[in-house]
Amino acid sequence: MSIQFKSIVELRAMLDKKSISTPELTQESLRLAKKYKELNCFVSMNEEMGPKKASAIELDKKTTSLISGVPLAQKDLFCTEGLRTTCSSKILENFIPPYTATAVKKLEDAGSITIGKTNMDEFAMGSSNETSYFGNVHNPWKKGYVPGGSSGGSAAAVAAGIVPAATGTDTGGSIRQPAAHCGITGLKPTYGRISRWGMIAFASSLDQAGPLARTAEDCAILLNEMAGHDLKDTTSLDFTVPDYLEDLDKPINQLKIGIIKEFNLNELDSEVQSRFQDSKDLYEKLGAEFVEVSLPNISASVPTYYSIAPAECSSNLSRFDGVRFGHRADNTEDLNDLYIKSRSEGFGDEVKRRILIGTYALSAGYYDAYYKKAQQVRRLIKNDFDNVFETVDLLMTPTSPNTAFAFGTKGTQNPVELYLEDLFTISSNLAGLPAISIPHGQINSLPVGLQLIGNFLREDKLLNAAHVFQENSDFHLAQPTMEDFL
Amino acid sequence: MDQETVRTICYLARLEIDQNKSQKIQKDLEIIIELIGSLQSIDTTNVEPLFSPLEMTALKHEDVEKSDNKKEKFLENAAASNEDYFLVPRVVE
Repeated sequence: MSIQFKSIVELRAMLDKKSISTPELTQESLRLAKKYKELNCFVSMNEEMGPKKASAIELDKKTTSLISGVPLAQKDLFCTEGLRTTCSSKILENFIPPYTATAVKKLEDAGSITIGKTNMDEFAMGSSNETSYFGNVHNPWKKGYVPGGSSGGSAAAVAAGIVPAATGTDTGGSIRQPAAHCGITGLKPTYGRISRWGMIAFASSLDQAGPLARTAEDCAILLNEMAGHDLKDTTSLDFTVPDYLEDLDKPINQLKIGIIKEFNLNELDSEVQSRFQDSKDLYEKLGAEFVEVSLPNISASVPTYYSIAPAECSSNLSRFDGVRFGHRADNTEDLNDLYIKSRSEGFGDEVKRRILIGTYALSAGYYDAYYKKAQQVRRLIKNDFDNVFETVDLLMTPTSPNTAFAFGTKGTQNPVELYLEDLFTISSNLAGLPAISIPHGQINSLPVGLQLIGNFLREDKLLNAAHVFQENSDFHLAQPTMEDFL
Repeated sequence: MDQETVRTICYLARLEIDQNKSQKIQKDLEIIIELIGSLQSIDTTNVEPLFSPLEMTALKHEDVEKSDNKKEKFLENAAASNEDYFLVPRVVE
């Protein structure tokens, strides 16, 4: 029986019925990854340790978690002990971490099998997966089209049915936007819900790990395992982790959903508008109530983000100096020359651009005008969210203003064109709020995503609303033919 | 932004830009600075900056000594090291 396109719940049922063993399942997942090599969604495979772990899990009858024996892929930004971790950058091309990130370790301790590390935008900086040192990832729905980014490899691996789920990270939309472009479900939890320890930092006040999967139910299963306080990350929240599966089926007839006035949805592509209207109709049919809400400062999210994220990135990426780890240039004159040459050879253009913007924004004379100003506007944006969540449970927007586009067609002349891809997703990172993207149809055979944003730590409401939507529609069941990748 | 400013920022960030990409980078930076400069029109008088969405004091834990020495593993990732240290070009003559 094929395992391709199966969800975590379905694979667990196969394991429970013994229609497949854990080692067979791992091998099958690795085989699919090889079969669809042309997608370029993996940077490294875990061919040695993965099958070994699978055999151990098969013998260990004590592991009863819902992900025991299930193959998963990890974004190549999570450190994995003994398994190369590159952040899709030349500067970390040969980096073998001496430890495993907490989020991945928790998934592995619950019995899941890591089959490989997924391709991504270099250091998670990008919205199309075109900045990877290891080349573009194709969208499983259309060859030569972007899968979205930065967690593009994870989204493509799940959409192609190679693994039922994968980890990602989201700094400005990097889980939700690729999930939308690839027709799968992606959850960015509340800032601090999941430990960031062992994640290679891009923008520390915005970065958050989360799951990409075929269904909201599978996202809930993964969040149950990933969430929780970690002594090694002082920004991880020390609040009880609820059972995210408990309220999944709860009726949503009390749900009040806000539509953000300032997003001017009537200016979007008419097909994007029409999918959005259809989903609104479905939610209304299921008993949800819609109200228009105003977040007066939300339109400032993109410029706010492009001041804060590069500033944090320029600081975080100063650790890559060619001394302790990562690429070191040959034939350098002195220590300063070693820093400059190693960094210049190791980083790609988009990473350099963001480091330079951040360095400029933080430099003497500009700090107040750019960095501090952006952090003040960030508070105004967060205040806007606090106000609307006094009257609504969730907010609903499209995940992205458009569907996936062809390689090399956006942002080449003007980088801001690509930055606007994240128009709808960025604000929840600035405010630290949870948000989910679920597939809600297609335009010209390419998937479109619907985003729901929740209040602080209300992942339960997001997952409930997303699950009920999926119980009453079949958009999440659509599968790409994959015939162009054989 | 002029070429001189670009050169200064590059030095501060310890980055070198190829000559043939320098004009493009300058233009890109100008566009992005213009984008973030648009925030100036928003009134933020008396608004405290929000540096982290949590605004909670970092959690503390007991300072317990652990003997988890991974020195060899850490040194393995360096391009040049001896058994105890990372090696770099001579700094002091």
